Amino acid sequence: MKRSIRGQAAIIGVGMSQVGKVPGKSALYLAADATKKAIQNAGIDKSEIDGVLTGMAFSSPFHRFSIALSEYLNIQPRFSNTLQVSGATTAASVNIAAAAVMGGLADTVLIAGGDSLLTGMSPDMSLRSMSESRDQQYEMPFGIPVANTFAMTAARHMKEYGTTAEHLAQVAVCHRNHAIQTPGAQMKTPITVDDVLNSKMVTTPYHKLDCSLISDGGAALIVTSAERARELDVEPIYILGGGEYYSHEHIFLAPSIVDTGAAHSSQKAYEMAGITPSELDVAGIYDCFTGTVIMMLEDLGFCKKGEGGPFVADGNITHGGTLPINTHGGLLSYAHTGISGALLHFVEMVNQLRGECGDRQVPDAKLSMVHTLGAGFATQASTVLGTKETL
Amino acid sequence: MSHSPFDTSKPLPVADGDSAEFWKALNEGVFLLQHCEDCGDVQYYQQAMCRICLSENVSRKPSSGKGVIYSYSVVHRAPGPAFKADVPYAVLLVQLDEGPKMISRLVESDLSLVDFDLPVEWVGVEVAEGVTLPCFRFAKS
Repeated sequence: MKRSIRGQAAIIGVGMSQVGKVPGKSALYLAADATKKAIQNAGIDKSEIDGVLTGMAFSSPFHRFSIALSEYLNIQPRFSNTLQVSGATTAASVNIAAAAVMGGLADTVLIAGGDSLLTGMSPDMSLRSMSESRDQQYEMPFGIPVANTFAMTAARHMKEYGTTAEHLAQVAVCHRNHAIQTPGAQMKTPITVDDVLNSKMVTTPYHKLDCSLISDGGAALIVTSAERARELDVEPIYILGGGEYYSHEHIFLAPSIVDTGAAHSSQKAYEMAGITPSELDVAGIYDCFTGTVIMMLEDLGFCKKGEGGPFVADGNITHGGTLPINTHGGLLSYAHTGISGALLHFVEMVNQLRGECGDRQVPDAKLSMVHTLGAGFATQASTVLGTKETL
Repeated sequence: MSHSPFDTSKPLPVADGDSAEFWKALNEGVFLLQHCEDCGDVQYYQQAMCRICLSENVSRKPSSGKGVIYSYSVVHRAPGPAFKADVPYAVLLVQLDEGPKMISRLVESDLSLVDFDLPVEWVGVEVAEGVTLPCFRFAKS
């Protein structure tokens, strides 16, 4: 029999700090504040947490952020790690937490993150810290910003498939509209396609409004076994499948810059969950840049390769469309809190599946997925989530 | 090696055991690629073994230095203070005639004409004493 984490573990609690501009708060505080809210949301005591997973935080000096956070919360976990697969760290953490619970390494795992990118660092420091994740010998000396690797993939996608700057801009507009409906979002001012196209060029084809935000904030999830979850007075959201794929380190060694490893990671996750992408009701897709979303819509199987632009233009990724995504506004308009940024996608998807999203609720949402990625599509991690009806 | 955030000098390549010969040759005006003597694969990224067949029977040979622009992005917002004086500039994903791709920078060329599939040729740019980067310009012919 194929080994699988399907339905073995569930998210029982979600929490967020205030996000956006949150001055005077450390990365650890923001992660801990989100954790307190997630613990409260789960209805458990912190003494139940025996596993802690985090990513690193750009504004924090701690190499072992998960350990520093445990100390901050006075928790002594028997399972912990500070994971580093860039933007893909989040879904990878959820997959690993489910496996750890299933394998008996921990009973209840906290997944948390926080960072102070907006007010805890200068914009130059933030950008520089991110661009310095590129290779010191073969990439960085040429002056390659973090946006640049993604920009080159979008440029090639535009050339090969006729994706337009307007298509990219429509992704930004859609995310802004979602953020406007979401309490606490960093960006609340409506924007148009022209606003995006007229915003300052960062690195072609990406204008400022094609790029995700720089934010302060933290988010947290609590994962436990399905058995334990059913004992609690909360609606568990089950982890139905996980898949990852790591295709390269250097952008110039990517097997393709328009067909990404997301196709592989998501396929693994769908197979484990026993679903097809057309069955999903709502999704969280890592939206570091507008073109990233278009490529992911294709590689995650929501539309054919090359048709991501028209798919967005036809209104498919918002309410009433084929697959509403990032209903909170995503990294583009809700907040980008660094490595923990995609935890916000998980929080939103859990809230959607629990029917707690108010005006922005996707009706009868039962099945969702979150796809996270990083490092110029080098790292890919997907997680399928569902309510008890989907088990 | 990491830089202080307050350091405005450009990041320079620091050679390791895999790459020392590559950077030394660049400084002497030669752009080397690695050829696997066992499987024939050609690699730009310098490793002491072939990344296809893992053979260590790999030799370095001068590249033709010719290729085409596979993709590019013109940088307007510099990645940190060190690059502020350079913008706008084009970062290139070059496909070399020998096969491998590489990240580089367009130099000595009209930035407004940068486009996909344009033939380019390598040119060494000394960015610090004893440090030469393999950059590219539009091919002359």
